[in-house]
Amino acid sequence: MKIQKAVITAGARWQRTLPLQSLIDRDGQERTVLRILLDEVRRAGIDEIAVVIPAGDEAEFARAAGDRNVKFIEQREPAGYAHAIHCARAFTAGQPFLHLVGDHLYAGGNGVSPTERVVEIAEAEGCTVSAVQATRETLLSHYGAIGGQRVTGKPDLYRVTKVLEKPTPTEAEQELPISGLRAGHYLCFFGMHVLTPSVMEILERGLAEPGEKITLSAALSELAAREQYLAVEQTARRYDIGAKYGLFYAQLALGLNGRDRNALLAQLLELVALHNTETHEIGQGA
Amino acid sequence: MSELVSIITSRDAAVRNRSVDKAAARLETAALLKECAALDRFWRASSNLYERVRALLFLYAIHRFHLPKRELGENSGRVPFKAVTHLLKRRYEEALESLARVEKASGPSAALSSAYAAIYKGLAFKTLADQVRRSVRSVRGNHWMSRIGHPDDYPLAIRPELLARASESDPFPILKESTPVRMDLTHSGWSDIFFLGMDYPEGARVLNVSIDLAVRDGASAKPQPPIEAYLRVIDEPVLRLTSVDLGATTDITTFAEVFDFARDYLGLLKAALIASGIVPPAMEGAMQPLRTLLEKLAGPGRGIELASIVRNIPKGSRLAVSTNLLASMIAVCMRATRQTQALTGPLAESDRRLVAARAILGEWLGGSGGGWQDSGGVWPGIKLIEGAEAREGDPEFGISRGRLLPAHHVFSREEISHQARERLEASLVLVHGGMAQDVGPILEMVTEKYLLRSPQEWRARQDAIQVLDEVLADLKAGDVRAIGHATERNFFGPIQSIIPWASNLYTERLIERARGEMGAEFWGFWMLGGMAGGGMGFIFDPARKREGQERMAAIMRESKRQLEDAVPFAMEPVVYDFAINEQGTTAELLSGAADLLPPGYYALTVPLLLRTDPKLMPRARRRELDALATASRTTEAYSGMVQSLFDRLLPSSEQKTGMQTQTLEALLNEFGFDPVEHESIRADLQNGRIGLAQNRLPVTTRIEDVRPGDVHAAYTENRALRQIGEQALAAGQVAVVSLAGGAGSRWTRGAGVVKALNPFGRFNGRWRNFIELHLAKSRRASRQSGTVVPHVVTTSYLTHAPIAKWLADTSNAGYQRLVLLSPGRSIGLRLIPTLRDLRFAWEEMTQQTLDEQKEKVRESLRTALMQWAQNAGEASDYTDNLPLQCIHPTGHWYEIPNMLRNGVLRQLLAARPQLRYLMMHNIDTTGVDLDPALLGLHIERNAALTVEVIARQVEDHGGGLARVNGRLRLVEGMALPSEELEWSLSYYNTNTFWIDIDKLLAAFELDRAALADAERVRNAVRKLAARMPSYITLKDVKRRWGKGQEDIFPVTQFEKLFVDMTALPELNCAYALVPRERGQQLKEPAQLDGWLRDGSAEYVNSLADWRE
Repeated sequence: MKIQKAVITAGARWQRTLPLQSLIDRDGQERTVLRILLDEVRRAGIDEIAVVIPAGDEAEFARAAGDRNVKFIEQREPAGYAHAIHCARAFTAGQPFLHLVGDHLYAGGNGVSPTERVVEIAEAEGCTVSAVQATRETLLSHYGAIGGQRVTGKPDLYRVTKVLEKPTPTEAEQELPISGLRAGHYLCFFGMHVLTPSVMEILERGLAEPGEKITLSAALSELAAREQYLAVEQTARRYDIGAKYGLFYAQLALGLNGRDRNALLAQLLELVALHNTETHEIGQGA
Repeated sequence: MSELVSIITSRDAAVRNRSVDKAAARLETAALLKECAALDRFWRASSNLYERVRALLFLYAIHRFHLPKRELGENSGRVPFKAVTHLLKRRYEEALESLARVEKASGPSAALSSAYAAIYKGLAFKTLADQVRRSVRSVRGNHWMSRIGHPDDYPLAIRPELLARASESDPFPILKESTPVRMDLTHSGWSDIFFLGMDYPEGARVLNVSIDLAVRDGASAKPQPPIEAYLRVIDEPVLRLTSVDLGATTDITTFAEVFDFARDYLGLLKAALIASGIVPPAMEGAMQPLRTLLEKLAGPGRGIELASIVRNIPKGSRLAVSTNLLASMIAVCMRATRQTQALTGPLAESDRRLVAARAILGEWLGGSGGGWQDSGGVWPGIKLIEGAEAREGDPEFGISRGRLLPAHHVFSREEISHQARERLEASLVLVHGGMAQDVGPILEMVTEKYLLRSPQEWRARQDAIQVLDEVLADLKAGDVRAIGHATERNFFGPIQSIIPWASNLYTERLIERARGEMGAEFWGFWMLGGMAGGGMGFIFDPARKREGQERMAAIMRESKRQLEDAVPFAMEPVVYDFAINEQGTTAELLSGAADLLPPGYYALTVPLLLRTDPKLMPRARRRELDALATASRTTEAYSGMVQSLFDRLLPSSEQKTGMQTQTLEALLNEFGFDPVEHESIRADLQNGRIGLAQNRLPVTTRIEDVRPGDVHAAYTENRALRQIGEQALAAGQVAVVSLAGGAGSRWTRGAGVVKALNPFGRFNGRWRNFIELHLAKSRRASRQSGTVVPHVVTTSYLTHAPIAKWLADTSNAGYQRLVLLSPGRSIGLRLIPTLRDLRFAWEEMTQQTLDEQKEKVRESLRTALMQWAQNAGEASDYTDNLPLQCIHPTGHWYEIPNMLRNGVLRQLLAARPQLRYLMMHNIDTTGVDLDPALLGLHIERNAALTVEVIARQVEDHGGGLARVNGRLRLVEGMALPSEELEWSLSYYNTNTFWIDIDKLLAAFELDRAALADAERVRNAVRKLAARMPSYITLKDVKRRWGKGQEDIFPVTQFEKLFVDMTALPELNCAYALVPRERGQQLKEPAQLDGWLRDGSAEYVNSLADWRE
C-alpha cells in the first residue's frame, strides 16, 4: 500500500482562523500553521494534498498555504468533523490517505517526524493507522481514545479493538485499558491518521443515516471490529492550538526545539525572574 | 500436618466442608492447644484470604466453645489490660502478642481463651471487611476516583442536554431517576452476604424481584417506583442536597462538608455524590473551594442540585430501600456526567453493574453495608442473582474463589410467564410489621457459622439452596400456592436452623392468626431480608387477597398492641399494594417550562426561600416559583401546595408539645420525682462537682485484687452446706427478688420497652421472656423443696403496668401463688449532657475503635451531638421526646428500700413469717437459681450479704471484687480511679445477692415491726441513701420520628447501686465464686447465639420447670 494523498481538515467555523495564524518555526522563519502542516505532510513524501475549509474561505487559506498545488475543498454546511473528512471523498477516490487536523501542531520526538512514522507503518502493514499518545485521564474529555493490545515485538504498535470519543474516566477504565501504561493514562488520538477507503465507506453510510451524526471515533471503532486497525504511539508531542494558550504553547514548543532555543530560554528566565522580584517587592511593601 | 489446617487447605470439598466443632471435640486438650498453635502459624503465613479467615474463625471457635470446657484451671490467669486496650483499638496482632506473653508465663486459662476468642473473631471480620473494600475499589471503572485528588485534574462535565435552557432566566432541565425497591423470594440462607458469595459462589443464590409500592391506607393508590432522585444544574456555585422524606436540605460549599456524613440527615446523598465520582473519594481533604470543581463540572457560577424522595416506605422495610436509593442517586449522577451510555430510559447491563458496584462503595463510605443483592432494584423484573467464580483478569482472582459482584440473570417472559407474574401479584400481601430491628448481629452470626461449617447449619444451608430451585420451578409453573409452602418451610426450617433469632414471637403470632382466620387459603409466610418482624410477605388464595390485606392490617395492629411493651416497635404496621417493576431504574429528562420537582420538595424549600430577599434570588429560581404558583392552581398534584406551605411555615406542633410537657409533669408527680434533689443535681453538674470524672474514687485509693480465702469456691461439693440450704428452702425461709425496673437500654439501644418481658429465647417449644424463665425456675425450686417459693418482681414507672398486665394475662405464667410486684418509688428526669461529660466519655475513656470509615462517621456524629448539647443547654432538662423517654429509674440500690417503703416486704413477711433470706438478681442473669449449696454457704457464713462473683473474662467490664484500702468489697467500674485497675481484679460481680433480711433491716436501723411505720421507714431509707454514692451516667435514648426513623441521643442520668452496700462496715459480706453459666448476663441480643451454642441455654433450661 502506497500513501499518496493527504487531507487536512480545517472546516470548523469556530476555528476557521486557527490554521491561518503565523508562528516562528524551528528555523526561525515565520510560517502559518497551515504551511507548517503542509510541509510536515510533504516530509512524508506526499504531494497530493487537500484542505477542507469552511465555505467562502478559500482566498485566505490559499494565501496562508502559499502553495498552488494544494486543493481546497469547501465544507458547505457546518456538519462536524466526520463530515469534513467525508467531503474529501472525491479527492481520495478510493485510495488510502494521510489525515491531519488543522488545529494541531507537532514538536519534539527526537527528530523522527510523526507523519513519516505513521505513513511508514501504514504502508508496511497495509491498514488504517492512527497516531496516539499516552494522555492523563484528566484530559480524556478533549480527545478520542483507543483500547487494544500491544503488537508483540513492536513496542510502539497497538492493535486497536475499540475507540471512544471523549470518554469519561469511568468508561475509559472499563473499555480502554492498555497494559504497560502509567496509572491513569490512556492512548488518545494525536490528530493524525492514515485512513483506508473502508473508513470513507463507514462514514458515508453513517452520515446517510438519520438521527445523531456519526463521529470519526465511532467509524474507527466500527472499523476495528471489521479489519486490522493499528495505532502507533508517538514520542513527539501534539499541541492543540485551539485550546486555552494552545497557540502560545505550540510556539514555545517549536521555539525550544529549534535554533532560537537559547534566546527564547534567556527571555523566559528574565520574565520569570522579573515577575518574582516584583512579587517579592509587593510582598515586602504589604 | 495439623488436622485442622488440612481441613482448610484440602482440595477435596468433602474434607474442606468438615466442621471444626466435630474435629475439636475429639481432640485431647494438649492436642487441641497444639492445633491452636499450628492454626496461628498458618494464618500468619497463608497468602490466601479465605484460608486466613477460616483459620482465624477456627481459632475463635476453639477458644470460645471448646477450651473453656476443658480443665484449664478456670479461675487463674487474668487478661492483661494491654491486650484489652489493643483489642478495643483494633490492634489485634499486638493484642495477640500480649496474650501470648501471659500464656507463656502462666499457662492457658478460660479468661485468656475468652480474650483470644474476641481477638480472633475481630481479626477475621476485619480481614473480610478489608477485602470487600479492596475489591470494591478495584472494580474497573472505579479506580480513577481514588487517584484524582485535585480539582485541577477533575475530568467530569455535565452533559450538554442538562445545560440547554430556553433563556438565562429559565431553570435548567431536570433529570429524574425512578427506581423500584427489591424483595427476595429467597436468599438461600443469607447467601448474599459479600463474604459468603466470595467464598462459596456456587452457594450464593438469590431470587430477587424489583417492585413498585403503594401504602394501603384506604385510598387505592397505584403502585409506583418508591424511589426518585432528581438532578439539575443551578445558578449558584453550591452543591444543594435535599432529602424530601427526611425533611432536610443544605447548600454545600466546601469539600470537608461533602465528606462529613453524620452532621445532618443527608449522609446518603453525600455518599452518592462521592461514589458517583461527582466529588471523587480522593478529594477528601482537598483545600480548594468546592466552586473550582463545580466550575469544571457545570460552568462558572453554577452548581448542582440533588434531591431524593422515598415514597412512604418506612425504615427497616427489608426491601433494601437505602441501597436502592443510593443506587438511584448514583445512577442519576452518572447519567448526568456521561459515565453511563444512556441519559434517559433504562440502563445498559454494564452500566447497571457499575452503578451496583458504586452503590457498594457508597455504602461503605457511609459506614453501612448491605448484601450484594440489595441493589436489585436497578435491574428489571424477576432475576436470579448468583455468585460468580473469580477468573483471570478479575481483581478477586487468586484472592477469593468468588467475585465481589454477582451475575444477574433477568428472567424473560418465556421463562416466567406474564400469567405467573400476575398470579404472584394477586396472592402476595406485603407488609411492614413495624418492629425495630438490628440485622447486623444476625449477618455476623451467619458468616461465622458458615465459615465454621457447623454441621447442622451446613445442612440447613444446602436445604435453603434447594428451596430456591423449588421456588424457581414453582414460579416458572405459575404455582403460587407451592411458592407459599416453600417459603414458609424455608422460614421454619433452614432459616431458623441457621439463625433461630431470625424469627420472633410477634411474627409467629401473625402467622398463627393468619392461618387461624384464613385456614387453607393462607398459602404461606415469607420472610423478607435478614430477619422477620419488619418487611414480610403473606401469601393468600387470590380470591381472598383483599380480605387478607385487611385482616393482616388488623392482626398486626392488635398483635403490636399486645406486644409493644415487650418488643421494640419503630412504627405502626402497614400493608402495601405492590406490582412487579419490569423496567428497573429508569430516567427521564424534564425540560419543559412547566416541569417542576415534586410537591414535597417545594413544601420543604419554599419556606426557606420566602425568607430570602427576592432580589438575591437567581432569576431561574424566581421563574421556577412562578411555574409553581401556576401549577398550584392548575395541576392536581400541586393543588395542596398552599396548604402544606402554611403548615410548614406555621407548625401546629406547639400545641402537641405543650400537651406532652403536661403529661411529663403528670408522670413526674405520679412517680415521686423529687424536684429539690433534681435541682441540686443540676447545680452540681453545672458546677462540675459531679460528673463522669467525679464518679471515680480518689487516685490515692489503694485498690488490690483479692487474697486467697476471700472468695468461697469449694461449696458445691460440700454436702453439709447443701443440706442446710435444702432445709431452709423446705422451711420456706427464702424468696426470690427479680430486678425488673430497668429498661435494659443495651438490649434495645434505648427503645424504652420492658426487657423483662422481651421474648428473647425459645424454651420448651415457645418464645419466652425473662420473667417467665425466672418463674419457671422458682417453680422447679418449689417442687423440689416441697414449699412454694415467693417471687417478687421489682418494677418501675416504665415497667410496672406492662408487667402487671402480662402477669394478669398469663395468670402469673402459671405460677399461681405468691408473685408480688414491688413498684418503684423514685425517678429522675434526664438531663442534656454536659460537654465535659461527653468529652470524658468519648475522649478519655478507652472505647471500641470502629473500622476506619465508621470511625469517621462516628466522629462526625459526635461533633453534631456536642453541638446539640451546647445548643439545647448543658445540664438542662431533657424533654424533647416521649414523656416516658425523658425520665429514668435511679438505680437498683433503691429496689430493696422500695420493698420496705411500698409494703411488699411487710406483706411478704406477714404471709411468710418464717422468711429469712432473699435472693436478689438481675433480670438478665438467666442461669441463676435457688442453689441449696449457695444458700447453705450464706447461712453458714452468717453473712448479711453473700455476693456471687465470676472469674473475669474479656467481656466483663464494670468493676469487680477488690480490696479497697485493705477492705474487701465490690467496687463499681465507674468508681475505679483508672480503667487499668479493673483488669487486675480477678472477679466480676454478677449482681446476685443473697440477703439476710434481719441483718439488712438492721443496717437501715429498722426491724420487722418497724416496717409498719411508714414515716420511720422513709427516714431510714433517706438516711442510708445519703451514705451511698450517686453515679452520673450517660445513657442512649432513642427518639423516633418520621417513618421509622430513629435518632439516638446521649442523656445524663444518675443512679445509686447496690454494690456499694458491701462498703458498709456494719454489714458482714461473703463472696462466692459461681460458674460462668450461672453468673453471666445477657446484655445484648448479639450474645444470644453464643449463649445458645456454648451450652448456656441448655443449662438454663435444665433449671426450669415448664409444667404449668
